[in-house]
Amino acid sequence: MEHEVRQADIPTVEALVNAFEAGSVSRRAFLRRAGLLGLTAAAAGALADAAAPRRARAQTTQKRDLVVAQGGDISKFDPHFSTSSNDIRVSFNVFDTLTSRHPDQKLYPSLATEWKATGPTTWTFKLRSGVKWHNGDPFTAADAKFSLERTYDPAAKTMVGTVFTTIDRIEAPDPTTLVIHTKKSDPLLPDRLAFYGGQIVPRKYLEQVGPDTFNAKPVGTGPLRLLSWTKDDKAVFEAFPDYWGGKIDVDSVVFRPIPETAPRVAAVLKGEVDAITQLPSDHWDRVNQNPTTRGVGALYAGLYVLGINAKVPPLNNQMVRQALSLSIDREAIVKDLYRGRAIVPNGPIAQGDRHYDPSLPPLKYDPRAARDLVKKSGYKNEPVVIETTIGYVAQDKVMSEAIAGMWKDVGLNAVVEVVEYSVRAEKNRNKTFKGLWWSDPTSTLRDPDGMMWRLLGPGGPQDYFRDPEWDELGNAARFSLDEKFRGEAYRKMTKIMLEKAFGWVIIMQPYEDYGLQRYVDFTPNPNQQFEVRRFNFRMRRA
Amino acid sequence: MRGLGGFLAYRLLRTLVALWLVSTVVFVVMRLSGDPVPLLLPPDAPISEMERVRHDLGLDQPLPVQYAVFLRNVVRGDFGRSIHFRQPAMDVARSYLVATFELGLVAFAIAVVVAFPVGVISAVRRNSLLDHTAMGFALIGQSAPTFFIGIVLILLLALRLDLFPTSGRGDWRHLVLPALTLGAFTMASIARITRSAVLEVLRADFVRTARAKGVAESWVIVKHTLRNAALPILTITGLQFGTLLGGAVVTETVFAWPGIGRLAIQSIYNRDYPVVQSTVFIAAVLFIVINLCLDVLYGVLDPRARA
Amino acid sequence: MPAASTSAPAGAIPVALPGPATFRRARVPWVLYATAGFIGLLVVVALSAPLLAPHDPERGSLRARLEAPTLEGADGRVHVLGTDQLGRDVLSRIIFGTRVSLTIGFAAVAVGGLVGGLLGLVAGFRGGWTDEVIMTVADAQLAFPFILLAIGIIAVLGPSFPNLIVVVGLSGWVTYARVLRAQVLSLRQRDFVSAILGLGGSIPRVLLRHILPNVASTFMVIATLELARAIVLEATLSFLGLGIQPPTPSWGGMIHEGREYLDSAWWISVFPGVVLMLTSLVVSRTGDWLRDVLDPTLRGE
Repeated sequence: MEHEVRQADIPTVEALVNAFEAGSVSRRAFLRRAGLLGLTAAAAGALADAAAPRRARAQTTQKRDLVVAQGGDISKFDPHFSTSSNDIRVSFNVFDTLTSRHPDQKLYPSLATEWKATGPTTWTFKLRSGVKWHNGDPFTAADAKFSLERTYDPAAKTMVGTVFTTIDRIEAPDPTTLVIHTKKSDPLLPDRLAFYGGQIVPRKYLEQVGPDTFNAKPVGTGPLRLLSWTKDDKAVFEAFPDYWGGKIDVDSVVFRPIPETAPRVAAVLKGEVDAITQLPSDHWDRVNQNPTTRGVGALYAGLYVLGINAKVPPLNNQMVRQALSLSIDREAIVKDLYRGRAIVPNGPIAQGDRHYDPSLPPLKYDPRAARDLVKKSGYKNEPVVIETTIGYVAQDKVMSEAIAGMWKDVGLNAVVEVVEYSVRAEKNRNKTFKGLWWSDPTSTLRDPDGMMWRLLGPGGPQDYFRDPEWDELGNAARFSLDEKFRGEAYRKMTKIMLEKAFGWVIIMQPYEDYGLQRYVDFTPNPNQQFEVRRFNFRMRRA
Repeated sequence: MRGLGGFLAYRLLRTLVALWLVSTVVFVVMRLSGDPVPLLLPPDAPISEMERVRHDLGLDQPLPVQYAVFLRNVVRGDFGRSIHFRQPAMDVARSYLVATFELGLVAFAIAVVVAFPVGVISAVRRNSLLDHTAMGFALIGQSAPTFFIGIVLILLLALRLDLFPTSGRGDWRHLVLPALTLGAFTMASIARITRSAVLEVLRADFVRTARAKGVAESWVIVKHTLRNAALPILTITGLQFGTLLGGAVVTETVFAWPGIGRLAIQSIYNRDYPVVQSTVFIAAVLFIVINLCLDVLYGVLDPRARA
Repeated sequence: MPAASTSAPAGAIPVALPGPATFRRARVPWVLYATAGFIGLLVVVALSAPLLAPHDPERGSLRARLEAPTLEGADGRVHVLGTDQLGRDVLSRIIFGTRVSLTIGFAAVAVGGLVGGLLGLVAGFRGGWTDEVIMTVADAQLAFPFILLAIGIIAVLGPSFPNLIVVVGLSGWVTYARVLRAQVLSLRQRDFVSAILGLGGSIPRVLLRHILPNVASTFMVIATLELARAIVLEATLSFLGLGIQPPTPSWGGMIHEGREYLDSAWWISVFPGVVLMLTSLVVSRTGDWLRDVLDPTLRGE
């Protein structure tokens, strides 16, 4: 894939040759540009020929190992005990889910080969046969049943207990059939099974060794099998040769933590690692212009928002809340702060989700209207506080300061306070934020039910405001199997939410970017699923 | 006045009281900083879960009771279990201590090895370009904030010249920049002291005498310099080691060095009381022990100081 | 904590590092005026910051973010020292940052001096248990890695101006206390003082007429050295994220924010750091020269 390089970026012949060797420029483009730079056709051709072998080599490799650097260390291997992105990236490779979401955002068979709603509250899954666990045991429906039940078993005390609350009971009538009964109609059950909480763990092995040993020596069905882990250093995996999806293109994969951004980016630029996660937008251009690396990104299945505590004045004033959104120049933030690595959303449903409405315009920027609203609202100069962390959401502190400035411009007394993760966690729990805070709601099901409803619904973690019509629509949509009806409901809910301006000040939908060596062929999936399976990963070999 | 023994005993007593005071202050401050339980559990954990964890950690007792338990355990050497690491806190602190020691010793070694010769040469070649440059750097080393020295070193030697890694602990290359940063003040101080000591020596009569007698001048210089400079250097060294943790906290933060200083800061943010208490305790003990040794050394070297 | 002044960290009686002795008599007035003049200049800058700063230190244009020093930025303005990650002018922020450093510096010195002086006096006069207790507390504080206590307290109480002044101020009381205590003790030994006290003379008078004049010059020296240390301590706390909060500019805070952009926009961290370093240098040199002039007895313990 060629990254189109602009004329202005190649001021010298040397730079042009570099770009050609890196593969940023096709041979035809190279010859053309060389001509513009003053070379004769013969000279340009000779240069291209000389550079060709280097070009081929830079973009291919014979490496049989993949080294990945992420922004934090692994804390848990047990997939039911962590929802941290650094752990998810690993657990999605060690374990499989029943259904799998591919980069095209559709659900594909994984441990389940087909599934059907066989009744208003029943789903039947046909499971894959011949699948082996890493320790050689065969995978059966009993494992699936055990695994799903474990997530909401109070004795197990997992961290993903709320994922499968719609399940009433599970049956495993034979080793390749799984029947799930839900409490009410659940159209989204297959989606739920594709994300965290849905990783299947082995019943026999777990019961044998207990959760602590299981966490230290995990056994899954996924393409990677854990060999060793040194805290703060690296985790080494080998490619599981008996993986049902076929052994992947390398023999081993190493995950290393490099928490600081600059060293992590430097590591990929210098060739010390093959891939890095969490590539900040400020470094996107550099990684792409470097001859040996490039950036790839997927639009995050979720949004960056400022949560609103609508119980606290002046945020209990609807006009003030509306002004908050109107006064933010999202284009400037996306273009200047994020270097274009984000899009301006049009509502609380992320692009790529079911029932996303492309006909809605991007959220409006109208500072004059905002100023009027503030004046009309009877605002008494109460402080509007953004409590921000540093790094919970990319560039959160910088964005907070920029947004506070925009709010000050429309007459609001905006204040930025930096808080520690610990404090944020506590305030989040106790719902004691002073005003606004950063959140990166994830669309876990690629459906508004899994984001907007999950977080802002009654009793949800971000429940600060209730609108009865909104609640009614949300409830109905959740349990309906009629997609048309659901679409209408979510359209109405979006309208209500934007009018009454509650829940979130929606800021943007960012790209999740990775930095790769050019010989790594990887198509990312949003939601931090750095899966290395055959359908999205291979090395380019000569 | 008192003999060396009585002197020591008195100091020891004062030391123990100081340690107790330090521990108590840490205890109070940490308890005031808030509840660590929400950090351990996911956001949607039920209240009953939080209560259970709080009870397990003994945090549901009234403060005076917690304090009494704490004191009793400290006397037994038990600082409790780290809330974050799920291991005995003192073990955690001790494991990180190694990294700090490594850094401190190398910093000090580099400081002495570089500063001493530089000081001597600067004095011998007084007012030369070398002298002015060296003393200029020394001045900067003594007045520049540690963290800024670290940042500049990272910028120049790691980012621009790509000679060293920017952070972390690994092979010898990872040690250089942090050690230089941590030892900058000491290096500068030793250089200046040495220079002055040598200058004084050079002025003294016995140098001329030695010259007349044909003894190698450089040997005389070095010998008398050492004697002259010993006490001030010892003072600086002692103070340096004693405040090693303070300087290490900043240096370790700048370079992401996994030492006890960084552990302390992270633990404060994580509200991991046992670890904070352990680290502070270790630091205080270190400081006190080193000072005690220094006092003894002084007492031996300089009888006047005992009064 | 080291790296604040040319003398030993808080708590020890300032060990006079031998300076170029031959310069003492001849050069002192000149250099002293120069360094003191620099401090005065800083004060002037701090007071007239709104007039001096070319741009608003708290608002910048996102379009012009991370610009190198330039005569024409993306927002069409001059940025002599470049812009930071929000497009704010670095020079203007440094100028306004002077306010933070000097305010906290001077106030902290005042707090430390008052508290330390008082405790030292009390320890010296009362003697006995009071003295022991105060000196043990001093020991405890010295044994403590103070930066951790500072972090802990700020983490608990929040990083506001008053809290910072108190914390930074309390970091240095021991030096004053020791000096004052020593003075009191030595004066008490002197015959005329015990005579006065024996005759029923009041302590405050002894204080005023005999003790204070003697310690005044020492205090000035210590205060100056402590000022340098306080400024650096505040900057260190800001660097660790516990100092004055955004968008108020502070030198340490700017260095902290610039760290992330060290490889692409080094000016954000470097320029404020240079200013900080210069300030620390000049102020501590002033202290050193003051000591040479006012109180040579402080040399060599």
